[in-house]
Amino acid sequence: MEERSRDSSSKPQNLHLLQRIKGFTRSLLEDLCIRHCLPSVTLDRYRNYCSDPTGNWYCCNSNLLNGEEILSLEKESHAYRLDALLRVLLIVQTLLQENKHLSKRDIYYIHPSVFSEQQVVDRAINDICILVKCSRHNLNVVSVGKGLVMGWLRFLQAGRKFDCMRSPSTSHPIPMHVEEVEDVMCVAKYILVVEKETVFQRLANDKFCEKNRCIVITGRGYPDVSTRRFLRLLVEKLCLPAYCLVDCDPYGFDILTTYRFGSMNMAFDAKVLRVPEIRWLGVFPSDAEKYHLPDRCLLPLTPKDKNKAETMLQRCYLHREAPQWRSELGIMLQRGMKFEIEAFSVSSFSFLSDEYIPSKIQDGVYI
Amino acid sequence: MAISSARKLCQNLIALAIQRCRISNNLCRLSILLKSPPEFNPPLLRVSISDTGAGSSLAEFKCMNCTSTQVSAETWDGVLSITTTSICDNEIHHYSLSFKETIATRRLSRLPTTPKNGRKFRQVGSEVSFTTQENIDDFVVWITQLCQKISILKIPMVAIELLVEQMNGPGSRCDHLLLAKDGILLPLSMPSIERLASGLEDYVLKHGNAVDKECQECFSSREQLKVGRGVACSGQSVKTTVQMAEAVIVITEVPESSNFSCLRACSKMTEVLYFQDFSPCSIPQLSLNALASIDWQSYGLTLISNAEDEDGCTILEWENLSPFTCIHIVLHSYHKEYPPSIIMKTNNVQNNLRTIGILKNQPVLTPQMHRRTQCDRNLVKKAVKIALDDLKAKYTGLFLSSHALKIRGYAPDLSRAIAGLILSSNDKDFQGECASLLGLQPVDINGEGIVDSCIKEKIIGVIEMNDIKPKYVKEYAPHLFEDNSIQKEESQDAEDEGEDILDL
Repeated sequence: MEERSRDSSSKPQNLHLLQRIKGFTRSLLEDLCIRHCLPSVTLDRYRNYCSDPTGNWYCCNSNLLNGEEILSLEKESHAYRLDALLRVLLIVQTLLQENKHLSKRDIYYIHPSVFSEQQVVDRAINDICILVKCSRHNLNVVSVGKGLVMGWLRFLQAGRKFDCMRSPSTSHPIPMHVEEVEDVMCVAKYILVVEKETVFQRLANDKFCEKNRCIVITGRGYPDVSTRRFLRLLVEKLCLPAYCLVDCDPYGFDILTTYRFGSMNMAFDAKVLRVPEIRWLGVFPSDAEKYHLPDRCLLPLTPKDKNKAETMLQRCYLHREAPQWRSELGIMLQRGMKFEIEAFSVSSFSFLSDEYIPSKIQDGVYI
Repeated sequence: MAISSARKLCQNLIALAIQRCRISNNLCRLSILLKSPPEFNPPLLRVSISDTGAGSSLAEFKCMNCTSTQVSAETWDGVLSITTTSICDNEIHHYSLSFKETIATRRLSRLPTTPKNGRKFRQVGSEVSFTTQENIDDFVVWITQLCQKISILKIPMVAIELLVEQMNGPGSRCDHLLLAKDGILLPLSMPSIERLASGLEDYVLKHGNAVDKECQECFSSREQLKVGRGVACSGQSVKTTVQMAEAVIVITEVPESSNFSCLRACSKMTEVLYFQDFSPCSIPQLSLNALASIDWQSYGLTLISNAEDEDGCTILEWENLSPFTCIHIVLHSYHKEYPPSIIMKTNNVQNNLRTIGILKNQPVLTPQMHRRTQCDRNLVKKAVKIALDDLKAKYTGLFLSSHALKIRGYAPDLSRAIAGLILSSNDKDFQGECASLLGLQPVDINGEGIVDSCIKEKIIGVIEMNDIKPKYVKEYAPHLFEDNSIQKEESQDAEDEGEDILDL
């Protein structure tokens, strides 16, 4: 358990959350002892998009509170979920009282046989966030850092100095406690977010940051909370444009939307996790012809890919806020082909860093 | 071995005798006398069923028929001797009914009557006898069990005796094998369901009458038995006959220290004792279907099979029943108002005789009988469910539904977590508040496991309370006994369980 501070009383946020947890515990006892009914938990239900088949996408706002979910002991599936929720809540209460931090994985290993899989803990944490109306990091629960950053950036985190500028092409892990990041200094012109670590390493090898005065971030696939919060912090504090480079396939597109609109799983916290300013730099379906990619690099969309793309086309936020993105996704589906960013390395290893990205940014070929 | 027609005949003659006793509305005695005259070789057994009830109506026997082939293939001689008189008769009538006679109109022979000589009061009743080649020892075992089952009913104002007349040597000796007199000893005001419950308790305490006295080794007191009662009845109006169904369920838990023979009496099988109009009989298929269609899972029971054995007994087989637990069920379907009309009486006889295969033509079910069969089915199911709910309500934790059992499985973990939230809090005021809610003293908070067990107890209590269906209350509501209420409830019930809706 990572100790951050010895005195919990110095954290008004912790006291506030502890008060809510006690209120919740009290309500469970009142159910049992006063109302003589089984304890139940009412959770607000959130979604960050809808898929209204009638086409009425404009009635749905982001972070829409979408009714309530009642977890009741009357249902066996709920009983298990409540059990997990209470076990995690007990851990969270201890963390807040002692002002210590644990990762989601640490929590899983406290009762591995009960939780059975990490997803059970993740859902319990999300439920608790909704219950006590806070973000996950407020619970002193962190995820094992997955994201990487490099470039013209320097900051402090809990007194520790992260000086990326000393070696702009060296990767640094994105800090877990983003709320403790301070004194951010930067001389970059933009932030580039890449989907994959392989591309990140390619850019590092090509000393892309040194040549282009930028910051490069990767979430290594679907970005975790820390990566998204860190990106949002940089965009807000530095007011830099952010571009995103993902594979030309439905999963790359979904990762792109996660950065911009947030994920459905954490819709309750989308407000602090999304980066609406991010722009799609590539790769677009039309890039295959534009850059004369060989046919061997083009792969047919699988039925699963098609299904995912068709489902995503229905998302209301694409209709409302990113029609151009939606249109590119439609083209991808229509052509039935996908390809990866690495396809641009076929003619030259450094094509991506020397030509593709700089020219796109310079010419404003992003949407 | 399938039950012989002589035994079936005997069973039906006893049923008719019981009806005559009920009709008389006076204290009655039903005697079953077995005689084996030594002069016959091979030995014959004379079975005589006599009662002091209302005199016999010949209508009971006129509809009886049986081919000579059937008679010759059977162990009885095809002849019934009937002696009967009623209180208004001046004579005692004697008849002989021969099923060997192929022409139906010639079967009944009127024999010379015996004058009563003005002694009207004592000489009321009937005696029907027949002779069979059945082995007397086997027959005694069978009829003893039959009479023990009948004694479960504790029929009001009816005493039953079973006698065997030993005729060895110069004299004869009469042994009382059974005397069931509870029917006349119990207060007349005692409801039928209470008699039935008491009878089943007696039966269970003697391990299904496998032992002569109550088994003290297994049951130190009657209070050990868990007894559920259920009564359902059809609507009562000018047009409808009041039809009743009663169910008693007794749960026993034999101590592990019981001897082997006691433990054998306890099994995953339940013999359903079924009575129709105060006589034991096989459970009708429709009622058996109704029994099988009960949502046993909602009582935490899993019914593996239901079948009728070769003796006509219905056996229910359970899954996951504790090896020391046994379920006993008795069902009784009958007309509440008696004496029933002669038409109904004839119908009963027809029913009984049809089952033993001695009616010449299979009569078409009259609408009245059809209605009654359907009604029985629904009432039996309803009565059993009420009895199960009664058990559930009276004995905490008994017959928890499968669902409730699963939910209850979470109680220890949930209570531990909630207790943890309280005990690990660094807010003493909050802890005191929680202790107060739980009905504990603040000092109890620090007691090991006290908060945890208190919360667990409360969770389990609510689960058990929730598992008792609200309809338990409804079923005892007065409107149940009003006209047509049962039809409405049954239709809803059938819809709930996906069954055909019966138009009663």
